[in-house]
Amino acid sequence: MTDSSQTAGTNLFAKLSFLVVDDFENFRLSMRQMLRSCGADRIELVAHATPAIQYCTYNHVDVVLCDYNLGEGKNGQHVLEELRHKKLLKRSSLFLMVTAETSKEMVMGAREYQPDSYLTKPINRAMLEKRLGALLLQRSALLPIYRELDRENLPEAITLCLQMLPKQPRYKTWLMKTLGDLYFQLGDLSHALKTYDDVLAQREISWARLGRCRVLLANHQYDEAVEGLKLLIEKHPDYMEAYDLLAEGLEKQGKPARAQKVLEQAARHSPNALLRQRHLAELAGANQDMDTAYQAWKQTVILGTYSIHDSSRHYLALAQTLTDLSDDPDNDTASDRADEALEVLGRMEKRFAEEPELKLRGDLVRCRVHAGQGRMNEASQLLEQLKPALGEADNLQPEMGLEYARTLFRLGQGAEAKVLLGNLAERFASDPAILQKIENLLDEPVGFRQKLKARALNRDGIQAFESGDLTGAAEAFRQALAIVPDHAALNLNLVQVLVKEYEHQPQRREHLQECQRLLQRLANLPEQHRQHRRYKALLRKIEGLTS
Amino acid sequence: MSDENKQNIDFSMVLASAVHDMKNSLGMLLNSLDELRTEYQDSLGTSKRFNTLHYEAERMHNDLVQLLGIYRLGENNLSAHIDEHFVPDFLNEHLARHTPLLEGLGIQYQVASEDISGFFDEDLLTGVLNNTINNAIRYTRTLIRLTAREEDGYLVIGVEDDGQGYPESMQHSGTLSFKSLDFKSGSTSLGLFFASSVAKLHTEGDRTGFIRLRNGGSLGGGVFEIWLP
Repeated sequence: MTDSSQTAGTNLFAKLSFLVVDDFENFRLSMRQMLRSCGADRIELVAHATPAIQYCTYNHVDVVLCDYNLGEGKNGQHVLEELRHKKLLKRSSLFLMVTAETSKEMVMGAREYQPDSYLTKPINRAMLEKRLGALLLQRSALLPIYRELDRENLPEAITLCLQMLPKQPRYKTWLMKTLGDLYFQLGDLSHALKTYDDVLAQREISWARLGRCRVLLANHQYDEAVEGLKLLIEKHPDYMEAYDLLAEGLEKQGKPARAQKVLEQAARHSPNALLRQRHLAELAGANQDMDTAYQAWKQTVILGTYSIHDSSRHYLALAQTLTDLSDDPDNDTASDRADEALEVLGRMEKRFAEEPELKLRGDLVRCRVHAGQGRMNEASQLLEQLKPALGEADNLQPEMGLEYARTLFRLGQGAEAKVLLGNLAERFASDPAILQKIENLLDEPVGFRQKLKARALNRDGIQAFESGDLTGAAEAFRQALAIVPDHAALNLNLVQVLVKEYEHQPQRREHLQECQRLLQRLANLPEQHRQHRRYKALLRKIEGLTS
Repeated sequence: MSDENKQNIDFSMVLASAVHDMKNSLGMLLNSLDELRTEYQDSLGTSKRFNTLHYEAERMHNDLVQLLGIYRLGENNLSAHIDEHFVPDFLNEHLARHTPLLEGLGIQYQVASEDISGFFDEDLLTGVLNNTINNAIRYTRTLIRLTAREEDGYLVIGVEDDGQGYPESMQHSGTLSFKSLDFKSGSTSLGLFFASSVAKLHTEGDRTGFIRLRNGGSLGGGVFEIWLP
């Protein structure tokens, strides 16, 4: 029986400060007893998350032993997130999650912050001494690297990792993992890739495969990344981070519907990761799958209760989604959804009372809720009250401006909305994300069911066009335009079809007249619009044909 | 899928969550036993009844952990996340869990491992080791030895004892199928089935892990080995 770690371990215990977080007094006391008998002296005990976080704010702690399950309120993962996110705990300090679980479920469920290690209950003294002793030995061996990480001196941390690799074969996994991650953070993709390839050359290791795919994604090698991630999930259906990354890859490939399916699958396996639920909600919203978006936003809001990732933005998005769902005559739960939207907005304003603009944003959504329920007077009155507070269009922030425009459209004040969006597009011409949102709203200022219908018709039209059925294509585009008359790409699609028909049958001058009417609709298309060049080109073409 | 089938799946989920609960309760119970042992070392430490209590609680806890593992295996929700580990550390840490009971029973214990790293899923191997050590505690006379070596490109982790050894019918090597579980005889071999399943989850190229049971070894008793590629 070798006991080398015990003597070394005892010294290590004595020098360090410990924090034990557990809601059972018995466990706290027995943990203190065990730590003391290992040689520890500075041990603080707390029962809940809040005092734990408070203690770390004002005291230096080397090792946190935190139970995952802390009863009502925040759990161990919340504590970990808050300590690491707010940098209340140094990287050189260890966070150990104590659980009764024997599987990796939680390791695989979390996306951002992971504990340095897990301790599985039941824990006895001998076990704690061995396990914690080994971890403390590792910590002291790696301390120079942790120090550089705390200083955010990543290049120096990399140098130290490289120096330590041949000297500390025992910690090779930690060192390689950290190296890959550091290179990636620094944007040195080729070295990151090489690090993961070195690991994989020896053995198929899932974290290295995942890291490699992350690098490929960042390097715009989407197909290869997506292929790799699919294989990884096939082998490890419980590896949640692979699902998250695969969804990103599919999005980059322009397959948002498949990306959504992947995230839905991951959320079924592991429903408690806030960031994953939010990602799903955003994707489903963009896909106009409002029922899924609703469920995912609702879950995001619930998970935010105790999380540092909580944000008023989630409440707002939930209320907006509910508003969309409530504005739907085909839906027999519409009025329930409307009530829920108002209730969510109320909760949001209470919870985030310190955000001054929030009330205004909420009220703009309220206008649409009223309008959707046929309370047009109430809606218009409220909007008139808000207008002075909204002020000049020139001073509106983009999110507020978009919300305002959405409300104006819903209340039948489309002309004003278009002016407002034109102004926004000019001021934020260099921000593609905002421009995209402006375009979407200009193109489709209607409810989600109509959007879906128009999009389906657009697809039909394109398909008919590609198979040479010009009449069918024109008919589909016309039907789509009956729903969203200002949709830039759709108008231009129809113009293109009509020009082609005219070229086949030059006697049909009425096609050209229709083109002129269509282009007239786009006369105020902002220059920043992605369809603007196409618009200009077709305009010149029609002018040439009609002159 | 038929309705009858659906009913089955629901029931196994109910079972699984009940097992999960029981496992956690036993965890608390084991904790209390450890505390009692520390507190009343002189009177309880070598008490036969107390050690039986401790041993049986450990055994149940192990069984439940394995049951959950097998449940997840059936749900196709268990895969091996293989990583590189320093084997002597791993063995020492896991033997530590059993030292209070071993000492209480007056059983000696040793780790005889080469200074090697190996590739395996730590959580899964923990389940296998706990169960095997527990089994050895039951059948050994005076000594338990954990071993680790490299052979033919496999990492071989073994648990040896100086007891009577395995009966003829149990000695074999390879993988066990679910059918080999015999619920009529006293021993269901649940542990062996789990160990065999865990071994099978470890693959490298076209090689797959397996378990081997034999008698003899350095102590002359039963030898359990898990071979990992």
